[in-house]
Amino acid sequence: MIENIPLSHILIFSTLIFFTGVYGFLTRKNMITMLISIELVLNAVNINFVAINKYMFPEQLEGHFFTLFIIGIAAAEAAVAIALFINLYRNIRSIDVDEVTEMKH
Amino acid sequence: MSFSDFLLMRNELLLVAAAVIILIADMSFSDENKRGLYNISLLTMIIITVLGFLPAPSGKLFGGMYITGDIYILMKNILNIATVIVLLQSRGWLEKPGQQKRMGEFILLLVSVLIGMSYMISSGHFIMFYLGMELATIPLAALAAYELNKSKSAEAGIKLILLAAFSSGILLFGTSLIYAAAGTLYFEGVMAILDSTAFTTLGLILFFAGLGFKISLVPFHLWTADVYEGAPTNVTSFLSVASKGAAVFILVIILNTVFKSLNDVWDPMVYALIIITITIGNLFALRQRNIKRFLAFSSIAQAGFIMLGVINDGGLGMATVIYFVLVYVFSNLAAFGVAAAIENETGKESIDDYNGFYRTNPRLSLVMMLAMFSLAGIPPFAGFFGKFFLFTAAAEKGYYILTLIAVLNTIISLYYYLLVIKAMFIDKNGAPIGYFKSDTAMQVSLVICILGIIVTGFTSGVFDYMVNLSQQFFLTLQ
Amino acid sequence: MNALTIIFYIMAVLMVVFSIMAVTSRKLLRAAIYLLFVLIGVAVFYLAVDYMFLAAVQVVVYMGGILVLIIFSILLTSHLGERLQVVKPTTMLFAAVLSLVSAGVVISVINGFTFITSTFEGDKLTVAHIGQQLLSYDQFGYVLPFEVISILLLAAMIAAIAIAKYKHQGKS
Repeated sequence: MIENIPLSHILIFSTLIFFTGVYGFLTRKNMITMLISIELVLNAVNINFVAINKYMFPEQLEGHFFTLFIIGIAAAEAAVAIALFINLYRNIRSIDVDEVTEMKH
Repeated sequence: MSFSDFLLMRNELLLVAAAVIILIADMSFSDENKRGLYNISLLTMIIITVLGFLPAPSGKLFGGMYITGDIYILMKNILNIATVIVLLQSRGWLEKPGQQKRMGEFILLLVSVLIGMSYMISSGHFIMFYLGMELATIPLAALAAYELNKSKSAEAGIKLILLAAFSSGILLFGTSLIYAAAGTLYFEGVMAILDSTAFTTLGLILFFAGLGFKISLVPFHLWTADVYEGAPTNVTSFLSVASKGAAVFILVIILNTVFKSLNDVWDPMVYALIIITITIGNLFALRQRNIKRFLAFSSIAQAGFIMLGVINDGGLGMATVIYFVLVYVFSNLAAFGVAAAIENETGKESIDDYNGFYRTNPRLSLVMMLAMFSLAGIPPFAGFFGKFFLFTAAAEKGYYILTLIAVLNTIISLYYYLLVIKAMFIDKNGAPIGYFKSDTAMQVSLVICILGIIVTGFTSGVFDYMVNLSQQFFLTLQ
Repeated sequence: MNALTIIFYIMAVLMVVFSIMAVTSRKLLRAAIYLLFVLIGVAVFYLAVDYMFLAAVQVVVYMGGILVLIIFSILLTSHLGERLQVVKPTTMLFAAVLSLVSAGVVISVINGFTFITSTFEGDKLTVAHIGQQLLSYDQFGYVLPFEVISILLLAAMIAAIAIAKYKHQGKS
């Protein structure tokens, strides 16, 4: 536990990072930057779990382990996503969502 | 804990064994001829599906991290059936020249997705839920991008995985708030502690939004149509049936167990989502000329209908949801099967190309007609009873206006389903799609689907059985 | 106010600023580097709450794995110095309003909630303890997720290899 810092401040700080990630996901068109936004979102979630675990329920390490698994899955997800990006790039030489004109709404 | 306890995880262990068998078998066949691998995988999956119907013990494992019971087994059986049908339908496509050597990967990824769904349904802890959900989406993204030289397919995979990752991020944020309120992440513990405050409501909303993306409810439906259109047809059918079914199943379970005390919060949420999902799904489906996009929007509307059962928080609601998903598996897979057969043979995806199809391929047209009738809810096919029970479930809780809106939307949907039938049977075409014979596996799958549509509709035992199991499920909760 | 508190607030502000820069920077590589700063900040936060193992995992997996992958793919798919296209003002306005309003709602709800801080003083968390709990099959043991994530990693590996080894015909 960090001295003198209430839990709500940590959660507010993680909320800000979370919604920055959401904003990035909604505005970005380049797929890699979208992935970066997703990593921001996941990190905000991790901060939440760790902080809540440490401050409120330190008897069990549920938040700690949840964070551990989230990090593992994020790595797997990023690996597959980047393999897909590079494959798409080999196809059309671009990784902007907008530049793929084959699909129209 | 003894070794016999592992029998509780029968379905998952069998599926993992199947994955290992497929991995090993894949090595022993040459790149040019993988027919043997296909047969082995299909046989394994059929055996697992049949074994699923054996009576199974119910209980908890790993301190409540894994829960099973009759109703869980039933849900998993439905997903197994869907997978077997999809596997049957994809044989012709998998055995195309040049495609063969990648067959092992396709089947293995499909099985691992199924493992993920199984674990997700049986989860008793948010970690297991999250893991199962990710296991059910990450390989699926690779499957959606399976036709790697088509940029459409590659893009579908990317959109699927980015959207899945983003939505699970939102879901996890909600979960973290619930953790703060409840102090534990075990479903049982959360259920006992959670009470209705602004804080838990916020957690529930974020959690629900994350799951809404998976079920492709409006307004979380962005990109659904793109993914469905870009992915190979067999993967699209799996996405629209199995993925959606699994997500709906776990949603029903979680809302009725973990968030039971927040009932008066999620009721209006589901209410609003149903109305916009059905309406917008229908309006967009009306405009589509590509059969896959059309089925994508129709499946969004169908998801809205499924939620009618979710809003009824009792045994009847859960039973109708399971029943409708079962019917939907057969009807939608029949429709997708015909679309896949046509696409495989001619590469055509537009509904206009189907003009005059009845003259050249009467049997496939009949299958498509039955599927459309069932999806639209025309008696006496199973789809009618599915929808009818859903309306009853919603009306039982006093949501008469909602039921009325849903009924009106059913009539709109009737129009666009009939458009496909009209194209096939009535519209004239100078150069219709020529006669072709689809492969045996496809024929078998279509026969299974048609039998399913008719049998589940006409035998009342199926629904009674589901009601029975659901009521037992709710009894054990108290 | 002691030094640690001040450091925390400075870091918090810096991390929020860096994350905003990561999602608005028009240069891809810079966005990735701003993400790196945020990730370092998160690792420091784990250290501050005494979760050493988690901090190590954060450094190894996030910075050593995911971020390297991201930078690697940036270098493969775009030219250095290339600028991303400007976001349409309507999209930006919509996204900004949506995020700000939602953030406001979440923050106000968090502010209204009373968090009961536990006074529990456990032993210092050791890696041995984490390992034991990860492989325990009792309540609060995580052997099942541990096994399932191994299936997930296998499936993800096969998926990534299946995509990567594919040879494109007729294209360079």
